[in-house]
Amino acid sequence: MEHFLGGMALLLDPYILWVVFAGTVIGIVVGALPGISGSTTTALLLPFTITMGPIPALAFLGSIYCAANFGGSITAILVNSPGDPSASATAFDGYPMAQRGEAGRALGMSAVASAIGGIFSVIVLIVAAPLLARVAYSFGPPEYFALAVFGLSMVAMTGGDSSIKNLIAGAFGVLLATVGQDLTTGVERYTFGIHSFSDGIEFIPVLIGLFALAELFEQAAQLGERTVAAKLGAVRLPSWQDIKDCSKAIGLSSALGTFIGILPALGATTAAMIAYVETKRWSKNKAQFGKGAIEGVAGPEAANNAAVGGAMVPTLALGIPGSTTTAIILAGLIVQGVRPGPHLFTEQPLLLYAVFSSMLLANLLYLVLGLGFAKVFARISMVPAPYLWPAVFVLSVIGAYAPNQAMAEVWVAIAFGGIGFFMKRYGFSPAPLVIGLVLGKMVEETLKQSLLIFDLSWGGFLGRPIALTLFGLTVLFLLGPSLLQRLRGKP
Amino acid sequence: MTPTRAAAAAVVAIAVALFAATFWFEQMPEGITRGFGAELFPRMVLGAIAALAVLLAIMPASSPPLPRIPPMVWYSGASLLAFMALVPVIGMLPAMFVFLVGVGWMWGERRRLLLVVSSVGLTLAIWAVFVKGFGIQLPKGLFA
Repeated sequence: MEHFLGGMALLLDPYILWVVFAGTVIGIVVGALPGISGSTTTALLLPFTITMGPIPALAFLGSIYCAANFGGSITAILVNSPGDPSASATAFDGYPMAQRGEAGRALGMSAVASAIGGIFSVIVLIVAAPLLARVAYSFGPPEYFALAVFGLSMVAMTGGDSSIKNLIAGAFGVLLATVGQDLTTGVERYTFGIHSFSDGIEFIPVLIGLFALAELFEQAAQLGERTVAAKLGAVRLPSWQDIKDCSKAIGLSSALGTFIGILPALGATTAAMIAYVETKRWSKNKAQFGKGAIEGVAGPEAANNAAVGGAMVPTLALGIPGSTTTAIILAGLIVQGVRPGPHLFTEQPLLLYAVFSSMLLANLLYLVLGLGFAKVFARISMVPAPYLWPAVFVLSVIGAYAPNQAMAEVWVAIAFGGIGFFMKRYGFSPAPLVIGLVLGKMVEETLKQSLLIFDLSWGGFLGRPIALTLFGLTVLFLLGPSLLQRLRGKP
Repeated sequence: MTPTRAAAAAVVAIAVALFAATFWFEQMPEGITRGFGAELFPRMVLGAIAALAVLLAIMPASSPPLPRIPPMVWYSGASLLAFMALVPVIGMLPAMFVFLVGVGWMWGERRRLLLVVSSVGLTLAIWAVFVKGFGIQLPKGLFA
């Protein structure tokens, strides 16, 4: 409790307050820009947090993460083009509402449901993360190896539609983490004589390339596609009747979103889609869904914001990213010299509780900003592509160059921009690659340590019940869906 | 060949090439590697990648032919490379200005004044924040 109060007290620091405010505004604005997701923004702004120090940097990135999901709903409702993938389900009913002149009511409900979902999940985060960390505190290398493999297996459900392609991308991420000197032997791997690769591939240019520059190529491919914006009208608080009608949807979706967010590698987009289906299933107005049902906006919005806090649970407690954006935040922690995992709760509790309290504040801030300035944010979302994307490139260049002041990093970012574009073209999502890259070192190190403990015998894992359980879950998650499909296909 | 099979073939080819590259890793004595040489883990991962790619190729899946990549993607890629070539010659900030105007024009913006003014504004903002604010030294080019 004292650490939590300490974290809350940090919010009285004007600098932290400013950082959270700036992160929330940036999160809403970029979340509202079609094509720029929360992951792209955190990747793009990650280099600029290096000079901030760990607490403000995490508060900044956490605020962006919270606010970007809400920002995505603005364009989903107004132009039927989700600013963030997690707002895709919001467009199903939000846009029809906007078309019949109820954009303000839809945006109001989106802000309220997002804030409730977000705050609910941060409360769960505050309670669950230390408990999970306490469990994980007794973990040794074999358990961590099993946990990292479990986290990697979850990438099968991240990003693209094909689980095999997702796993391949995740494995390439792990492989990318092996570039540079092997820690045990000092042998250089895949450096190809390039000196700057000796310390490994830097996270920042890879992230900027995969998210920001690959998207620039995507946008170049879609030039000329036009969207029609619906009239916004007045943004207002939903009526009590609206809130009453949606309370079940918001409650159910907040719980669902938090749970889905906690599962490693599953993020806000999955949470929103599942919440939409479940909200419809439990609704009395099923026939209205797809035609402008306000519950169809409330459910996914509560869920995608609840997934944010949920995704932070394994990220902070175990060092296993709960989503693509948390993988980038995890990379940010590593860049700051902070090693994520259960020991953070004993070594740097103030850092964690500062993150929790700044996320709480960000959720309240975007409720106020969303209701008060949605018209302004909606206008910003209409920035034409010929201005927006060249500016994104210029910021990407600065972002890749600034940390080491090296043009080689800009080349890496451009190369990964091309790789990311071709990956997407062939159905490989870059998200699993990032998760693999972040987890790669942990997988290799813990495997080596485990095998040393077991005298190089793989059978040693059989004597570790927690590791065995995690391996069992991995197999279940990998093979379960296809086995189930087969069973259903053969009556 | 379907795009999925083409992608699977490319993945196998990359995996084989990277597997072959592990044979050029420096060899260390057993006392240092303790049974886990630097090449072992990459080989395990590459084996998994190759197996998954084979699975991808043999799995039945609908894979319609991909549309052609629009020329604008190639032009935009070329602009990025042109920017990189310009940086050592005229410096990063002027190259950014040229890029902002050039790509904005290429992507269809015809309001010249607005394009130039916004590009100057963004370039100046970058100079103020990063050069003056953060003290980052940007490449200055041949004429500085």
